[in-house]
Parts: sequence; structure tokens; C-alpha cells
Amino acid sequence: MKTLFQLKPAAFLIAALLLGCSAVAAQTQAPQTSRIELSSLDHLAAKASQTVDVNIDERLMRLAAKAFSDKDADEREIKKLITGVKGIYVKSFEFDSDGQFTAADVEAIRAQVRGPNWTRVVNVTSKKEGNVEVYLLMNGDQVGGLTVLSSEDRELTIVNIVGPVDLEKLGKLEGQFGVPELGIEKTKEKKNDEN
Amino acid sequence: MTRTYTMITAVVLSLVLAAGVTYAKGDDFNSVVKMIEQFYGVKHEGIPFLARAGMTATRTAARIKGGTARRLAEAGSIKLAVFEDQKFAGEFPKFRSTLNNALNQTWMPLVQTTSATDQEQVYIFLREAGEKFNVLVITIESRDASVVQVTLSPENLRLLLKDPEGTGKTITEEATIIDQE
Repeated sequence: MKTLFQLKPAAFLIAALLLGCSAVAAQTQAPQTSRIELSSLDHLAAKASQTVDVNIDERLMRLAAKAFSDKDADEREIKKLITGVKGIYVKSFEFDSDGQFTAADVEAIRAQVRGPNWTRVVNVTSKKEGNVEVYLLMNGDQVGGLTVLSSEDRELTIVNIVGPVDLEKLGKLEGQFGVPELGIEKTKEKKNDEN
Repeated sequence: MTRTYTMITAVVLSLVLAAGVTYAKGDDFNSVVKMIEQFYGVKHEGIPFLARAGMTATRTAARIKGGTARRLAEAGSIKLAVFEDQKFAGEFPKFRSTLNNALNQTWMPLVQTTSATDQEQVYIFLREAGEKFNVLVITIESRDASVVQVTLSPENLRLLLKDPEGTGKTITEEATIIDQE
């Protein structure tokens, strides 16, 4: 069998073109990833009284799905919820005083969830309880991931879930896998009341 | 002849790579301890053998959120290095980046918490170890630090994933506090 380097130039060109075409095709067919870049916020760590960074990537998600028991009802539900999820990423900052992060910091995250497949499904603005925005990535009719952006005067939290997730049960993830209590259930109730 | 040579090269290369990975995996605990020593200009303290034996025999009140007192680390799996009453001054973003770069080939970063105001850092890394899991917890405060490596069962991995911060703290407490219960 001839190796790639032993092929004639014309055959080599055809092989390269075929490889190139298949790579382009794979790229166009691939669903958009919901992973967002959070490193733009890293500079806030130097001012924060508390920074929490949670990285549960696909390998860890697979381990988690294996580790949760089918016997316990709660765990079964969590297992079902995380099956297919490719990652959970949390970045959270707490500050001792107001004004430690800027609108530009928040905007750097928001800009990433303005793409064509992203939809803002929740937007709660409250002077007392802070602001919560929930963005959903749709790949066709499937949820491809979500991003929660929660900001208060002295707190900034971003939760990014990559992969399909059941919105109705999202609140079950709060307090698990390093996902902080964001009051997602309350936020959803509030939104329903408004409708 | 060329084929034989290529095969020999491939076999030798894969053996060398495999040996490298094994070495890195086995020595990461010591590498992290050395990294802390070099970065902060500090020295870790050896734990006397008898104290270590006492630690493995002791019953640690490791209280997990919503659970009862239990031991997390598999018996005899605790590796511990402590740094007491020394100065840990330095840019922690730089330390964090050095640590992550050193461990990202063999370990998965799970949770990292830092506090600029309190000068505290906690890093929890995880890796598979056959049917079980190795967890590396690095805690650095302004005057003290510890590096703990333990092996967890799949059941205890569940606790770590459910409450990474709380369980990480419990792992460190279990390794460093001798509870004469």
C-alpha cells in the first residue's frame, strides 16, 4: 500500500481536496457549541473577596453520570438531568465593595450569547435581588445549552451548561456540581406571574 | 527493512511516552509540593511516621452536607504535606496558572476558589485511578498551606461532585486534623 507521500501529485491533490471538503462539511453540520469564554473575567479575581471557578468538563460529566445511583430517587433524577450534558462551568465573584466590576465585564459575556441561535428566556431586573438573565442555545428544536448571568452590586456569577438540559428541572442543579443557589425556580415563577 | 525499522521506532516511542506518563502521574504530588516551595520560597514539614499511622487509625468526624460522620479517603491512601507559619505572599493568578499548566495533562481541575482579600486559595483536581479516583486538594492561606492527595471510592466521588467545595474541605480536614473522638 502506498503512503500519502508516495502518491502522484494529481492523486495527492485530489486526496487533499477530498479531505478539505469533508472537513468543511463536518464544520457546517456540527451544531453550535454553547460553551462560552469566561477568561475575560479572570482579572476580577485580584479584587474579589471570593472567586469560585468550577470546571466540570465532558470527561467529568461522564464520571458523574456513572457515579450517581439509580436506586435513590433524587440521584436518579439528577443522573437523568445530566445525561448528555457535556460540561458545567461556573465562575462566581464576591466583592467587599460596590463597583468592582464594570458594565463592560458583563457585556463581554452578553456579547457571546447574542448569536443567532441564542435566546434570552428570562430577564429579571431587581434593585433588591439583583439581575438574572437566562440564555438558551437552540440547535434546531433541541436545547444545546444555557447560560445564566446573575449580577448584584457585589456579586457576579456566570453558569454555563453545555449540552441538552431540561429547563423545567434546572433548579435541581442548584447547590450541586458547584452551581450556586441562583433562585432559578423563583425567577421562573416570577416570569410566569408576569405572563 | 524500512518497515521493521519504523515498527521498532514506533514501539520504542510508545514505551518512552508511556513511561513518561506513568512517571508524571506518580510524581505529581511531590511536584506540586516542590512547586509551592519554589514559588513561595517556603519549606514543607515532614509528617513523622507515627503521626501518619495515628492519622490512618484515627476516627475523623468528617461531616458531609446532609450526611453523617464518615471517612472519605480510602484506607492508607492519604498523602500529606503541610507548610506551617510561613509567608505565602505572591501573585496567586500566576501561581494558579503555573499549577494548572503543570497538572492539566493528567488531572482534571474541578473547583478552584481564591480570595484576594483573605489571601486564600483552594484547588481541587481529580483523576481516574482504575475503578477509583485520586483527588488532589491544595490549600494555601496567608501563613499556612497543605497538599493532600487521597483515593476516593465511586460512592465518595459522588459526594465530591455534589458538593465540591464542602467535600474538598472535608478531605483536607480528614488528612490534617487528628480527631480524638
